[in-house]
Amino acid sequence: MTNVAAVIVTYNRADKLGKVIENVLAQDRPAEQVIVVDNASTDSTGDVLAAYEGRPTVHVERLTENTGGAGGFAHGMALAYERGADYIWIMDDDCYADPDALRTLVEGHERAEASMGMRLPFACSVVRWSDGEICEMNNPEPTWDWGKLLVRGEQTVLVNSCSFVSVMFPRWALTQFGLPLAEYFIWFDDQEYTRRITKAGPGVQVLSSTVTHDLGVNRGVNFGDVNAGNMWKFEYGVRNEASYRWHHEDPFAAFRFAQRLFSGLRGGGVPWSLRRRLARKWLEGIRFDPKPRFPRTVL
Amino acid sequence: MTGVKVYELVEEPDWFSVLSPREVRLLEGALAYHTLVRPGQRVRVTALRTDGPHTPSLTDQSTSRIEWPDDRTVVGTIEAQATGMPVSDVSAVDVVVDLGGPPASLLRLERPPGRVHEVRSAVRARVPVVFDVLRQKRTDRLENRRLSQPIPRVGRPQTRGTGSAAGSPRAVLFGMHWLELGGAEKWAAETVGMARAAGLVPIVLSDRPSGHPDISRPVFDDALVIPLSHPMTGEQESRLLSDLFRRFDVRGVHVHHCTWLYNRLPWIRAHYPGTSLVDSLHVLEWRTGGFVDIALRMSNVMDAHHVISPQLRDYLVDRQGLPRDKVTLATLADLTVEPAVGRAAEVPTRSPGEPLTIAFVGRFTQQKRPYLFLRLAARLRARLGDRVRFVMHGDGELASEVRADHARLGLTGVVELRGTDRPVTDTLTEADVLVISSDNEGVTLTSFEADAHDVLVVSADVGSQASVVPEQMLVPRAPLAFLSEAERVITRLADDPDLAARLLLSQRARVDAFAALPRARDWTRALYERWAS
Repeated sequence: MTNVAAVIVTYNRADKLGKVIENVLAQDRPAEQVIVVDNASTDSTGDVLAAYEGRPTVHVERLTENTGGAGGFAHGMALAYERGADYIWIMDDDCYADPDALRTLVEGHERAEASMGMRLPFACSVVRWSDGEICEMNNPEPTWDWGKLLVRGEQTVLVNSCSFVSVMFPRWALTQFGLPLAEYFIWFDDQEYTRRITKAGPGVQVLSSTVTHDLGVNRGVNFGDVNAGNMWKFEYGVRNEASYRWHHEDPFAAFRFAQRLFSGLRGGGVPWSLRRRLARKWLEGIRFDPKPRFPRTVL
Repeated sequence: MTGVKVYELVEEPDWFSVLSPREVRLLEGALAYHTLVRPGQRVRVTALRTDGPHTPSLTDQSTSRIEWPDDRTVVGTIEAQATGMPVSDVSAVDVVVDLGGPPASLLRLERPPGRVHEVRSAVRARVPVVFDVLRQKRTDRLENRRLSQPIPRVGRPQTRGTGSAAGSPRAVLFGMHWLELGGAEKWAAETVGMARAAGLVPIVLSDRPSGHPDISRPVFDDALVIPLSHPMTGEQESRLLSDLFRRFDVRGVHVHHCTWLYNRLPWIRAHYPGTSLVDSLHVLEWRTGGFVDIALRMSNVMDAHHVISPQLRDYLVDRQGLPRDKVTLATLADLTVEPAVGRAAEVPTRSPGEPLTIAFVGRFTQQKRPYLFLRLAARLRARLGDRVRFVMHGDGELASEVRADHARLGLTGVVELRGTDRPVTDTLTEADVLVISSDNEGVTLTSFEADAHDVLVVSADVGSQASVVPEQMLVPRAPLAFLSEAERVITRLADDPDLAARLLLSQRARVDAFAALPRARDWTRALYERWAS
């Protein structure tokens, strides 16, 4: 029987985490194991998780330090792999899966593989915002032939990359390509990872599998929004994307990214002190080139 | 004579009494081969033996020459013919079968002949760690190359052959490496017994030169065993297989570690498409590719691959893209010991002041790297003094190098050397820690035995050892890193008996989870029952 492990990474989201876990446990095709990685939360997350102690399919993994979303996903996916998972379904701690999200994801992936006649390295859900509209932050990038399976009557779109909000990886993708880069800490870890594994073929977005991403505002990453409060996230984002474009695409791609960054910051009237800090992060990205770690086979 | 009769003697000679049971079995195998490949002809066999270190020559082309080296003595002559065939009146065909030297003489073959091996052994004997550093670097390079290059595959079969002889006795054709029952062969031998228990006639072909010391084991009593020696003629090879498929309804071929039979699977599939073709795989060999690569090459003509470790499953399915339903993971966790049976519920803790006993159990071979254990012992002795003691239990081709190293490193009186005349359980009963220094393994059966004796296993992180050894006790394969990391881990265990107790619990959890995976015995029994039905 196919063994699916759901991996939820959480940090200080005690108010939403319970609902996230409950929605995963209430799937009409339940995951064989649910792994919750607590990134050393300092709020009452521990109390929320205490309620799941002793649940046979739930495993809580408490980290001693906050490793970021990237570190948490890398850790949780490695653990799921060691525990013998055939598929690993991952999500953030503010993602509410609809009751059939996993079943439709598994079935859609299986049908797409049969239709394409090849193994496909991931399947992701459609991510909605709280009002039912598309969540701008979690739109996958389609391939040039994205409608190939749609015209065959399947509710599936071919994609190059997606975010870590309800995406499922088959075990072989981890065996061949390793884990997400924990060193990215936060932002662009999902883009790097899904682009890395699409060397084996396109991913798919299964249109019938839906989840809700409970963000405060429905807005994608926009460099015009940089301010002192959110600067720390953009610093990781700029360093990581510059690193990816330079080392895994080509230096011209990194320069195009610099141009896009510059235009966005100028368009948003971002203060020069913050622009200079992001420029330094872009340069740091050129020297920053972490290598993937591979999970260990245990079961 | 015992076994399955495919030939009859023209006259029973009285000199059989001078042969050892092993030699009788070897001669029976040779008689079966030579009569099967010459149906309708009488075969006159001259049987030879020697005291020297020579492996038997039973089926190769040299058997058709009626001359032999001076150190061979004639044991006797015998005439036989295949059963079920009218025998022609023409004179008998002459065959000379060399039963080889006694197995003890073959053990003295510590290294293969040749200048390259001489230099290699000399370097290893003098500077074993440097030798091993270079060897492991080469392994790393080969591993990377192997993972980046596709393995060629044979074409899928298109033909429809005639099938094997329905109505004849149902049989399984086994391919074995040799009849020396180490890890993989121990399992192969057990499957021979399981086939018989399922009502199938076991036919065993072995591939590699050996004295076949275990051919006289009871498990082979009712089997047709033919230890092949190479090269045979192509005509005889196909006649041997055709005649076996004509005399028996061969329901399945189960290849253990047998290159010769693997390479003939496409031919078997072409002519006998109704016969199931499966194999059992034990270990990934990065340096040579080994049997796993041959299995991949032949996979298109095979029905199933049985693997004994999760690592092999992931390699075949995830890395090499074999269909998931074609690869079955079924472990040998219970082959030598039943995990968790006989284990005390309480975790034993060492009393303070009691020395930590550290053991090495295994063959003294390059793969097991006994020289690393000796150096680890020297380091730990220098660091911990009388708080540690060591037992090294085994024998093998590096025995003289181990003894020389033992003396050179000043370990006399520190590391107790034990031979194979003492039972392994003695050592495991005394030990607190078992060190596995191998550079390659599948899942070591010794790890299960150690766990059953509440012994902690510190192991090189190779093969599927991670399946049974907790992460804190896995150390790198590279020799220098192995030594420093193993020294660090064992020092912590010596300093902190509570840590040792906690790790033992964690080890038990891993072994139990592994033992809960499907068992090879169950998978094989079900397979043979299907074949027998």
